[in-house]
Amino acid sequence: MKRKNSIMGMAFFGPALVLLTLFLFLPMLLTFGFSFTDYFALNPELTHFVGLENYINIFKDELFVQSFLNTVKFVIIIVPLQCGGALLLALAIHHAAHCKKYFKVAFFVPVVMSLAVVSTLWMQIYSPEGILNTLLANVGIDTQPFIHSADQALPSIAIMSVWQGVGYQMIIFLGGLQNINPALYEAAEMDHASGWQKFKDITLPELKPLCIFVFITVTIGAFRMLVQPMVMTGGGPDHSTYTIVYDIYETGTVNWEMGLASTMAIVFTIFVVILTIIQNTLTKDKEGRKHVHKKAKTN
Amino acid sequence: MSFIEFKNVCKKYPGSDKNTVDNFNLDIEEKEFIAFVGPSGCGKSTTLRMMAGFEEITGGELYIDGKKVNEVAPRDRGISMVFQNYALYPHMTVEKNIGYGLKNMKMPADQIKQKVDWAINILGLEEYRYRKPKNLSGGQRQRVALGRAIVKNSKVFLMDEPLSNLDAKLRVSMRTEISKLHRQIGATTIYVTHDQVEAMTMADRIVIMKDGVIQQVGKPMELYDHPVNQFVAGFIGSPQMNFFNVTVDGSTVKFSDGNTITLSEGMQKKLNGRTGEMILGIRGEDIKLDAQNMDLNKTNVQSAVITDTEVMGNENNLYFSFGGAQAVARVSKYEISQIGDTIHFVFMPSKMHFFDKETGVNYTEM
Amino acid sequence: MFTKKQKRINWILVAVLLVLSVFFLFPVIWMLANSFKPDAAITADMNTIAAFIPPALNGNFLDNYVSIITDTSFLRYMGNTLLYAAILIVLSIIVNGLAGYALAKIRFPFRDQWLMIIIMLLIVPTETVITIHFLIIAKAGLLNTIVGYILPLIVNPFNIFLFRQVFVSLPDDVYEAAQLDHCGPVKYFFTMVLPMSKTVVATVSVFTFLNVWNDYLWPSLVFTSSDLLTAQIGLNSITSNENTTMGQTLAVITLVTIPVIIIYSLFSKQIVEGVTSTGSKEG
Repeated sequence: MKRKNSIMGMAFFGPALVLLTLFLFLPMLLTFGFSFTDYFALNPELTHFVGLENYINIFKDELFVQSFLNTVKFVIIIVPLQCGGALLLALAIHHAAHCKKYFKVAFFVPVVMSLAVVSTLWMQIYSPEGILNTLLANVGIDTQPFIHSADQALPSIAIMSVWQGVGYQMIIFLGGLQNINPALYEAAEMDHASGWQKFKDITLPELKPLCIFVFITVTIGAFRMLVQPMVMTGGGPDHSTYTIVYDIYETGTVNWEMGLASTMAIVFTIFVVILTIIQNTLTKDKEGRKHVHKKAKTN
Repeated sequence: MSFIEFKNVCKKYPGSDKNTVDNFNLDIEEKEFIAFVGPSGCGKSTTLRMMAGFEEITGGELYIDGKKVNEVAPRDRGISMVFQNYALYPHMTVEKNIGYGLKNMKMPADQIKQKVDWAINILGLEEYRYRKPKNLSGGQRQRVALGRAIVKNSKVFLMDEPLSNLDAKLRVSMRTEISKLHRQIGATTIYVTHDQVEAMTMADRIVIMKDGVIQQVGKPMELYDHPVNQFVAGFIGSPQMNFFNVTVDGSTVKFSDGNTITLSEGMQKKLNGRTGEMILGIRGEDIKLDAQNMDLNKTNVQSAVITDTEVMGNENNLYFSFGGAQAVARVSKYEISQIGDTIHFVFMPSKMHFFDKETGVNYTEM
Repeated sequence: MFTKKQKRINWILVAVLLVLSVFFLFPVIWMLANSFKPDAAITADMNTIAAFIPPALNGNFLDNYVSIITDTSFLRYMGNTLLYAAILIVLSIIVNGLAGYALAKIRFPFRDQWLMIIIMLLIVPTETVITIHFLIIAKAGLLNTIVGYILPLIVNPFNIFLFRQVFVSLPDDVYEAAQLDHCGPVKYFFTMVLPMSKTVVATVSVFTFLNVWNDYLWPSLVFTSSDLLTAQIGLNSITSNENTTMGQTLAVITLVTIPVIIIYSLFSKQIVEGVTSTGSKEG
């Protein structure tokens, strides 16, 4: 019977395992291996082991440093707007008296649109003769360059990204709000809690694990910014919207410097993994404290 | 050779240092209705699942119809099974559920239809033929599960607590229905239950298990009247048999509260000169309050104060403290008493059991 | 149930949300309305409320769309993408479903370790291995082929995990009953497990479709031959052409968006469930 299970298990898991090996394990290994070499894809014969040289060089590489700083800027703009916006929208829709279904759909529509579509659409909207500048002119604001200036391109793309993504996290928060036991609010009602107190003492603590989850996934999502600048600005003007993943992509598939690209990919992956671990420990810690808290209450 | 034979069958789970089923030996004749009964965790379901082939037999041999089946795949053992949670295929209609096995066995469609029609008819499922399981009640679902089992002409039916998810009233009617089905079809049936009433009312023979070991095998009344140990005595029968700590000294039985009774000669013979501390067991209906029995056993009349009563209608249970324990007497509806009344009673001299204090062995059945 | 004050607040919320949703949707409304206009009309309407209103139904109403369909291969790109999505949906249900089932129900060696690995793979940002995918597919001589495009996309740790979570709660006794009914494990998977798990099958299908339909990076690397392009890449090549008018651009992106909107309106339940499950797996 045991042998039968091994055979059946491998027969079922096998196809996935082959593909996982080919397209995840092997690439990860190769990336790791390449990161210590000067692998140049157009001339693979001339590959040398260079040790940690790449790891030192990328931090000396002005473009990589700039793309890193740009990415951080994206994160700083996107994360608070998208997380806060999603939470506020979810709370408002949760408590709205009517049209909940319409609101859910309306704010979710941009999520299902593709990055390429959204980017193309907003290029039109942001254009100097575009609808946004026309509307701004009505309230007396001069024509803004938006994505055509090094100063405004990054925030313009960031705001567009929030517009597209906020509905996703809103749905997650709505799910969380619906999962809160209504008896908690009824009990608070009996204890004469005000609306604000109910929000502060029930809603927020109950949503906290979800808030951490959303915060980290939005952060990681913002760190992965690529297609929007690729379509809208090509990373410009003056590399002002060039991001880490864009740099990895171009170094690897345009310049064919796989060694360098792999090093960037490893650094980036480590970064993302650390963020995820932080999230996991934060949520776990929270559960632990909740448990203690409950115990203390019953005593 | 019997139809089904268990020879020293054992089950040991990896990581456990004890056999879950230990040295199980049993012969089952064709067309018999056997009930496995015992408290949860006694190994009865594991034994059944070893018969079905869902659990590996880790020791001993199992023969079905003369063939050793230890290594035979479940589907090739010639068995049907009815599961506790019905295990119906949720996306198939009643009809499809019942005929699914036949279809897989490549039976021609017209024959399948005939078989399914027959099962649907016998189980009274005509109006539910095209329904899916989620639109059926528990009783109807269990009937579909029965139908799935009976169409396959299996020689052995295995039933794993099939009635435990039904409400009390439905359980009683399904009990008779399964018995009737067994008489009609005549397949050898192994029925696992933790409910001794089901076992008593349905089975030809009962296998009582505890901690993976068979305690006693026998016809229902054999187990009731002649339990081989205190566990069987206590498990079969409701209300439970009364047990008292006593000291036996020749013909005298002394209860822990100082009361004594004198043993009949027959009972003394059964005890075969054993003396010392024992456990006296007697069933509630063998504690008599009527004038005739009192007269017959004048010297042994005892008295006690009723602490609680259970009025059933046809009979009543009277609870009282006696001999250092709580005891219950089952009396007819004409002997009703109230809490606080003093009653006088005798123990039927031949109906007493004496169990070893340590091993629980019944001295009177040796 | 609600006090008067609460009721008033809830109504104010509705009003605020209504205004917000109009602002929020203005790019989409603008896209739709102007995709039916010639460029002159788009510019002319820009400063009026007409910017958000489709033009009157006349002979030129569909001009942008007609020119896109007749002058470019855009319909073909859409068809390509639909085909890739269909193939990938089937393959990813089979491959990831079988793997999820094995991880949920079959006791094979190192099963729990494999599950741990799958969960860890959820974290890895896939953009970082895309260059290596390109290298592998190029080495295999599969650039510019459907196989080369599809192969790396079939297996998906998140789908495996999603399937596993659903399959693990399927009752074991149904499998045992099916065994007695002469139904082998492979047949059981296709005729019992998948039909019993319609919701997760639908969720995975919908997300696979959206991923294929909206993906930009991978097809832009694999496909250079214009016959095989997907809609997103086709869109980019059409809109970056200098002869394409603004109206045509808007018509193209509307065309690309129509299938997703249809899918969304048909399967919003599955989509919401899938989105919520990414949140609830943490809590």
